[in-house]
Amino acid sequence: MKFFHLLFISLLLSTAVSAQQFLTREGSLSFDAGSPLEDIMAETKSATAVYDAATGKIGVQVLMTSFNFKRALMQEHFNENYVESVKYPKASFKGFYTDGFAQGELTMHGVTKSVQVPAVLAETKDGMEFKTTFKVNLSEYDVSIPKTVSDKIDPYATITVFCVMKKRP
Amino acid sequence: MKCLVITLCLLICQLGFAQEDVFDLFEEEQAKEYAFATFKGTQLVNSATNETPGAGVLQYVIAHRFGSFGEDYLYNFLGLDNAQIRMQLDYGITDRLNVGIGRSSVFKVVDSFVKLRTLRQSSGPNPMPVSLTLLSSVNYRGARYTDGVDHLTTDRLSYHHQAIFTRKWNSKLSTLFSPSLVHWNLVPSVEDPNSTYNATLGARYKLTKRMALTGEYSLISNKSYSDGSVFTVPFGVGIDIETGGHVFQFHLSNTRGMSTPYWLSRNSYSALNGGLFLGFNISRVFTLRD
Repeated sequence: MKFFHLLFISLLLSTAVSAQQFLTREGSLSFDAGSPLEDIMAETKSATAVYDAATGKIGVQVLMTSFNFKRALMQEHFNENYVESVKYPKASFKGFYTDGFAQGELTMHGVTKSVQVPAVLAETKDGMEFKTTFKVNLSEYDVSIPKTVSDKIDPYATITVFCVMKKRP
Repeated sequence: MKCLVITLCLLICQLGFAQEDVFDLFEEEQAKEYAFATFKGTQLVNSATNETPGAGVLQYVIAHRFGSFGEDYLYNFLGLDNAQIRMQLDYGITDRLNVGIGRSSVFKVVDSFVKLRTLRQSSGPNPMPVSLTLLSSVNYRGARYTDGVDHLTTDRLSYHHQAIFTRKWNSKLSTLFSPSLVHWNLVPSVEDPNSTYNATLGARYKLTKRMALTGEYSLISNKSYSDGSVFTVPFGVGIDIETGGHVFQFHLSNTRGMSTPYWLSRNSYSALNGGLFLGFNISRVFTLRD
């Protein structure tokens, strides 16, 4: 009897822990490093986003090769020459959400930097919605832009995140 | 007994708590990833790679093979005065299907080809170790025959079918293995085989982000015809340089023909006798459809 008691309590406890977590693997994340000379935009719809309501921890992770560009060659150059996706397959943000700001560590191209960006996290009928738009200075993440194309690429890329996370069962 | 129960419960609790750090969920992700940019260009030196232009992209390739090192090459400015030329235009119908036409000045050959990417190298769930791309071409010899015999149009045709297996080992090294069949409608005599079997081995090694060393070597099944012509194994080494929409490939090879049956199955130059040629391929892509 006691066994079942304990089992029941521990099961309850474990579900209680995960019930406060939210997750999606179909978040959208786009970036724009274009200029008047060239459109450089890409989007992925397979970003992973997580949120833990108990701790306030929030994170977004994206697979670099999942970005879709309009032009195949641009996509190849992005992966091959700029972000080096084979060496650094993922980019992630790990941090906390508090009062309209997401604060934490942004890792991209093997470089980790502390960032604080304005963000919106709100519960909607679809789930937990996380939205943010911010700029990253590509040179801070050691993404080198050759001089010959420097007038075509914005050194400050705009990242837009929109993720609707579902409560984990 | 009690001890066991408690341990068991603790264990179960821990399973629950193990998920506590929400960032652990990042690690569980097992996405399928396809290999990209196995090679820089759609060809290595002469041999085709698995690469094709993206959907809606038109590619223009201009290639030269200069005169040989055996023929007064200083007088001929390293052979540049005796250039053979190939022009090629090809188009990506989808990201996996590519069609094109080309003309090479050796034997005035016009060719058309179809290239299809079938298997794609991938990692993650259900990984695929190699990519497989299929290539077929029809080649029409435009050069006049000098043997005084009337020739049918079909005599001028030759065919080439190739299975291109490629693997990108890491960000620097990619290799290629391409068994192929070349069929000649016309050979000197009935004793000579119409079909020859060949296998190309190739590799590229990236030196920097935009520059790579390339090399290829082909094995051939038929090395001579009854009329006395002798065929050598084709090889080439080169450098790929990429600048945005262009890929420049400079190389040294023992071949001058540029449509596949001619350089692969009927190459008559021997490097040992000065049959070495400088050459280049330059490609430019135009996005016609986004």
